[in-house]
Amino acid sequence: MIDVDRVGVSLGDVTLLAPVSVVVGRGEALIVRGRNGTGKSTLLRVLAGARKPTAGTVRIGDAVVDGRDRDFRRRVSVMIGLPPMAPDLTVFDHVMLVAATWVDREEAEGLSQSVIAELGLKRLGERFPHELSSGQTQLFGLALVLARPFEVLIVDEPEQRLDPGHIESVISVLRARRDRGATLVVATHSVALADGLADRTIYLETAA
Amino acid sequence: MSNRTHAAMAIWRARTIRTAGDRSFLVYMVFMVALVAIAPVGRAVWLSAVSPGGLAVLASPAAPNIAALIVAVLWACALLLGRDRGAVIRPPFLTHALATSDRPRTEAFRGPLLRSGGLVTAACTITAGFVGASLAQHALTDLLGVISFMSVGAFVGVIATVLWLAGQVFPRPAISVAVALLAFGALTAAVPGLQAFTPWGWAGLAYPSNSNPPAPVALTGLTVAVVAATPWLMSRLRLNAMTVQAARWHSATTHATGMDFGAAATIYQGRPHIRRRTRAVRLRGQLAWIFFIRDAIGATRTPGRLIVGVLALIAGGVILAFAFAPAAPGWLLGAAAGLAVFVGLGPVSDGIRHAAVVSADFPLYGISDEQLMLRHAIFPLIVTVIVLLAATVVCSLIIGTSPGAAIAGALSLGLLGLVVRIVNALKGPLPPILLTPIPTAMGDPMAAVRMAWALDGLLLAALVGTSAALAVGAPLLLLTAAGIVIGSGIFRWRSRR
Repeated sequence: MIDVDRVGVSLGDVTLLAPVSVVVGRGEALIVRGRNGTGKSTLLRVLAGARKPTAGTVRIGDAVVDGRDRDFRRRVSVMIGLPPMAPDLTVFDHVMLVAATWVDREEAEGLSQSVIAELGLKRLGERFPHELSSGQTQLFGLALVLARPFEVLIVDEPEQRLDPGHIESVISVLRARRDRGATLVVATHSVALADGLADRTIYLETAA
Repeated sequence: MSNRTHAAMAIWRARTIRTAGDRSFLVYMVFMVALVAIAPVGRAVWLSAVSPGGLAVLASPAAPNIAALIVAVLWACALLLGRDRGAVIRPPFLTHALATSDRPRTEAFRGPLLRSGGLVTAACTITAGFVGASLAQHALTDLLGVISFMSVGAFVGVIATVLWLAGQVFPRPAISVAVALLAFGALTAAVPGLQAFTPWGWAGLAYPSNSNPPAPVALTGLTVAVVAATPWLMSRLRLNAMTVQAARWHSATTHATGMDFGAAATIYQGRPHIRRRTRAVRLRGQLAWIFFIRDAIGATRTPGRLIVGVLALIAGGVILAFAFAPAAPGWLLGAAAGLAVFVGLGPVSDGIRHAAVVSADFPLYGISDEQLMLRHAIFPLIVTVIVLLAATVVCSLIIGTSPGAAIAGALSLGLLGLVVRIVNALKGPLPPILLTPIPTAMGDPMAAVRMAWALDGLLLAALVGTSAALAVGAPLLLLTAAGIVIGSGIFRWRSRR
């Protein structure tokens, strides 16, 4: 499904990501680990088509990654940092609107309700983004990228700002997506998340 | 100020010791800004005040009533301003350090209050001086009348400062008091007999052409009373409210210093707090309809902003109608209408700003970035066109000009104003190339270029307004303005990532 072939990123003399190769099959979860500055987020950006590698190639399916390609946008859901949030929409409005642009109306209602329930956001459905705590905002961000169909999910440190209980929820939500056939690429510092999800793990070494 | 407070302030100020050269440059800069920017504006205001047209306004029988209304509006605005940016603001750290110390608020925060008060009082006194002096120029009052009115201006400024502080101390009641002030101010302007019974009316009664000796005395008494209440008000300043206001002001000034005026304004933008149970996303009809309803309900969740936006659009329409009147300075009124429309579009174009942010991020919605932007443009376009057209047509009929040209102008202004808003939403950070100094014999022109970049939304809005107002006589100007605005939009759209 995902074929990363000797992908590296440099900025002049500075290496942001040392060359890495990995193959991930459909319905597999790849965990990307490594210390700060080893290029985890950079690798995810390359996979998401937001950054061109200075060496190597990435293929998702049969196609070379292109973040502007319509088909690529349809197949790949990405959360690197928090997704943009509209200040004038509640949590429920947000998730519903995202779902309504991807699937038909009947399915959108059910999809948004189930994502909100899975992530424990039901009681926060009527809150505006500025009324959420940092951990709740992280869960809300995840809900936005999950409220749509996708074949590949790329997530950078989903455990950020979450307590151990919520990390467990995130693990079970992501595992459910993987079990339904989605391919996951998750960068994380959380041992619990890596252990609970990984089919394959790569450790990035110091980039420089 | 006690020795301890004085010592704390000395430590704080010692962080940034300016050399003699730095101080000299500061003095030079202030002098040059005053000479180049402030003095010509002051001269222009003075010349228009003493011109026959200006004199007709200042010496009209309605002038005292309007003066009373302006004072009521000023005091209401001071109360409302205090809710978000009070008269007593220090840097965040200093605010926390001093507010959590055992020093009384009157001592620790006297400086900022005096500075705020000085600014407001000076502005009011100078304004009153301008009015009085222009009337004296035409022998409609004497020197004593001018001095008396200036002292009334000073009293109005002092009272405004205390109300500013009161708004900071009591943010919730400030709204209702301000609304009451506005309502009674309008009533007093309509029924001049009430002037003797209202403080703002006393300012009207003290107008130079309407000299009424008891009025300044009454205002003096009121000023003494409110100043006496100041220590009581200051002692009620809450730590949390002060630190929040200090942090917001610090962020806003930091953004403004970096010429990111949009971000600075966003910090003070009202946040939604009502209609949370009304579903903004209703899964009926086409996606365009879903986005229209979503934007409409989203806008009503900050009703204050929406009202201000609609009022600004109405003002834009009215000004545009006047721009088409014979012998009116069309270009100037058109520019003012463009600015009003730009301001009015702000509260109804939250969706456009969201679409701009989404378009520069990872795909979130299942439609293209272009479709997302277009769908978010529907609500502001409809609101703008309806409000602008209604205001322009009604005003044209009232003032007796032909509404045909005004309608065409309103449509052009509404459409291009929306494009300016989209261009502004796609702006992004300051391009580093603009930071490159280009030394010339006349100085560094890049400072002006950076300022133009920072204010490009307003400049484009003024250009669009002017071209819409002159569209009948100079259609080429409208086409050029449209080309510039649309070209800027395409350029920014293509370079958004």
